[in-house]
Amino acid sequence: MKNIRRLTQGLFLLLFLFLFIQTESKGNDELGYPVRLFLDFDPLIFVTTLLSAHAVAKAFLLSIITIIVTLLFGRVFCGWACPLGTLNNLAGSLKKQPADRQGRDWYRVKYYILTGILASAVFTLQPVGIMDPLSLLIRSFSISIYPLFNYGVRSVFDTLYSVDPLGVAAATEPVFTFLKRTVLSFEQSFYAQNVFIGALFLVVLGLNLVEKRFWCKYLCPLGAFLGVLSRFSLLKRSVSEDCTECGACSRVCQGNAAPDEKGKWKDTECLYCWNCDDACPQNAVHFGFGRTKSAASMDLGRRRVLASVFSGIAVVPFLRITPLARTNAQDPRLIRPPGSLAEKEFLKRCVKCGECMKVCTTNGLQPTLLEAGLEGIWSPLLVPRIGYCEYRCTLCGQVCPTGAIKKLKLEEKVKVKLGLAMIDTSRCLPWAHARPCIMCEEVCPTPKKAVWFEKVQVRDRQGKVHTLQQPHVDLELCIGCGICETKCPVLGKPAIAVSSVGESRSKDNQLLLE
Amino acid sequence: MERRRFLKLAALTGAGLSLPDGLAALAEAAESATRPDLVLAHGAAPEKIVTAAIDAMGGIRKFVSRGDVVVIKPNIGWDRTPEQAGNTNPEVVAAVVRLCFEAGAKKVKVFDRPVNDPRRCYVQSGIAPAVKALGAEADYMDDRKFRDMALSGQALKSWPLYTDIFEADKVINIPIAKHHGLAKLTLSMKNWMGVMGGSRRQIHQKLDESLVDLSMKIKPTLTILDAVRILTANGPQGGSLADVQKLDTVIVGIDPVAIDSYGATLFGMKGSDLGYVTLGHKLGLGQMDLSKMLIKKVSV
Repeated sequence: MKNIRRLTQGLFLLLFLFLFIQTESKGNDELGYPVRLFLDFDPLIFVTTLLSAHAVAKAFLLSIITIIVTLLFGRVFCGWACPLGTLNNLAGSLKKQPADRQGRDWYRVKYYILTGILASAVFTLQPVGIMDPLSLLIRSFSISIYPLFNYGVRSVFDTLYSVDPLGVAAATEPVFTFLKRTVLSFEQSFYAQNVFIGALFLVVLGLNLVEKRFWCKYLCPLGAFLGVLSRFSLLKRSVSEDCTECGACSRVCQGNAAPDEKGKWKDTECLYCWNCDDACPQNAVHFGFGRTKSAASMDLGRRRVLASVFSGIAVVPFLRITPLARTNAQDPRLIRPPGSLAEKEFLKRCVKCGECMKVCTTNGLQPTLLEAGLEGIWSPLLVPRIGYCEYRCTLCGQVCPTGAIKKLKLEEKVKVKLGLAMIDTSRCLPWAHARPCIMCEEVCPTPKKAVWFEKVQVRDRQGKVHTLQQPHVDLELCIGCGICETKCPVLGKPAIAVSSVGESRSKDNQLLLE
Repeated sequence: MERRRFLKLAALTGAGLSLPDGLAALAEAAESATRPDLVLAHGAAPEKIVTAAIDAMGGIRKFVSRGDVVVIKPNIGWDRTPEQAGNTNPEVVAAVVRLCFEAGAKKVKVFDRPVNDPRRCYVQSGIAPAVKALGAEADYMDDRKFRDMALSGQALKSWPLYTDIFEADKVINIPIAKHHGLAKLTLSMKNWMGVMGGSRRQIHQKLDESLVDLSMKIKPTLTILDAVRILTANGPQGGSLADVQKLDTVIVGIDPVAIDSYGATLFGMKGSDLGYVTLGHKLGLGQMDLSKMLIKKVSV
């Protein structure tokens, strides 16, 4: 059974990685693969989004399948499918099993975390993405692990190419071309906070050295959610009279489910890995349907549950009493992707999975730190100095699992204003330095350009008269895509920059009298 | 006979005499001497006008030999569709690729350094799919292949340029005729910005000089100016079909200044209205005076 499980885990991990790598533009308007499939199967995000935003994302109906499977077979998702679980398994294989294993009694923690998340979701907060395993995994891969992998591979091949020791480049270049076509990203991408987000992910994996599957046993809120469902699952474990309580099963148990103590087996903790069945020297372990209930009851402690409910509720106003919530004081750098809902609604849905940042063709979508308050940490914002919003691209809305970014048709998308660009005349070459430059106008993508010129005559220091075109922004036409800021030759602080004022999604953050 | 044409004839006669079948070559050389400076082909089918224009120039075999590696440089600068006339017409590019292979080219490479996302530009322009189907390479440009090259020009002393251009046996420039906010028009000479590496943004401070510097360095075998559709305003990327005019024309020639000087007339301008044309003429890059050219017009 172990090999079948490992094979299944491997296949799911490969499928995950394949879809992850496919979350990239190929130049067409559509991606061609259901890249967010794993998130669509996540019932926890389905439920929290339902609670916080009162919205049912259609795609999440797939997560009902996960619920049904769990009701039939228990936490098989954790044991057999979850890509983070599989990575935890792999990381855990680095740890030598201690001879006498004493599992920690911390399994309740994840239920308190789940309770807190659900309680805050009832009060419209959506913190689930921070700890939801799929969201965490996709975010960590998008922002940190995959760019790191790309950087490493590219450095090796670039070095071989430029140094070309013994003429090996002739052999390595075809390999590099192959990798570029298959597993590498189109270009090296760069993300703010890559070290921070990557380090947190490595901590999750590193916890396996403290105890195997530490995350899955003690922290994972999705594991807790499926664990609760597991209480009602039909597939149960039973132990026959042949059991000698030798403890062999306990040493291989992935979930700390107390398989060696008769009547105390915790169905909520069992990952259905079948290790105990494989390990039992007496062949006394059986999994089967409809057996009499032989599992321990789940005692979380009423007070502790109440405490986590109240913590979950209290965190809502705690996070929201920030000046950023006031129209006048919001961060002007908070430029959201096209199709984003109004900020409040956006935050109720965004699970910070990072899919939009992964798919953004210009690398302009970056994770926030505190621009949207702590509530919005790791949600997407456009940083035009890094990359702009491609005029005819709608990919971020296509991959968003919760509809925080609406899927827009091209005709709709080109009308969406992300903000407005304004010129810093003290830095602009034709305005301040008597030199011609037209970059912002040249790259402005609206059919009638939002950047227009005024022909002027200016004198330089020597008194020589130059006829120049000074750029202006037509605020009615500007959509705030930011390409002018990206391409402005005034490096560092640009001479034209976009801020969020005028963004279509906000009723209040407006400038013009309409 | 003009000096240029005489030199051409003399050189080709010499070449013809040194060949075994000298007589046939002589005849060819004589034909070259009467080769037009520019051919203007007009007609509804892009492929046909390209072929007719190149035939009028003496045929593709005059320019591409068996076994050649040919670089074709269209304008793939923008995430725009062919109807929007922001990029070279894909049918024009495909027609040239087909002719190159017919002439026995070993390899045909098509590339540009776009302003927008390269993937979207290559696909949405229709160029990458069209030329790949014919067996040409349409790879994205590789950052590692830019090398600093001496230009010793008016504005540019040196610049990183794409080495494939200089390693190819033949280079064919296929720009599209478009409006541009600073250069007024972007035609053949400005198309070489697409092989510049590094940050190209600064060159707008001395654009005319820079374009001439580039054209002094890069000498294409042939230039085909795509005017199947031209963009008359809001260039160089356009977007509105109202700014697009369908001319169903290509202009083929060798002298970039001549091509661009004629290109200006498509927009109701003169070559002398364009700074880089005037400067190119002055510095001996080419001829901008249309009255001194043999211009052949064909309709198909």
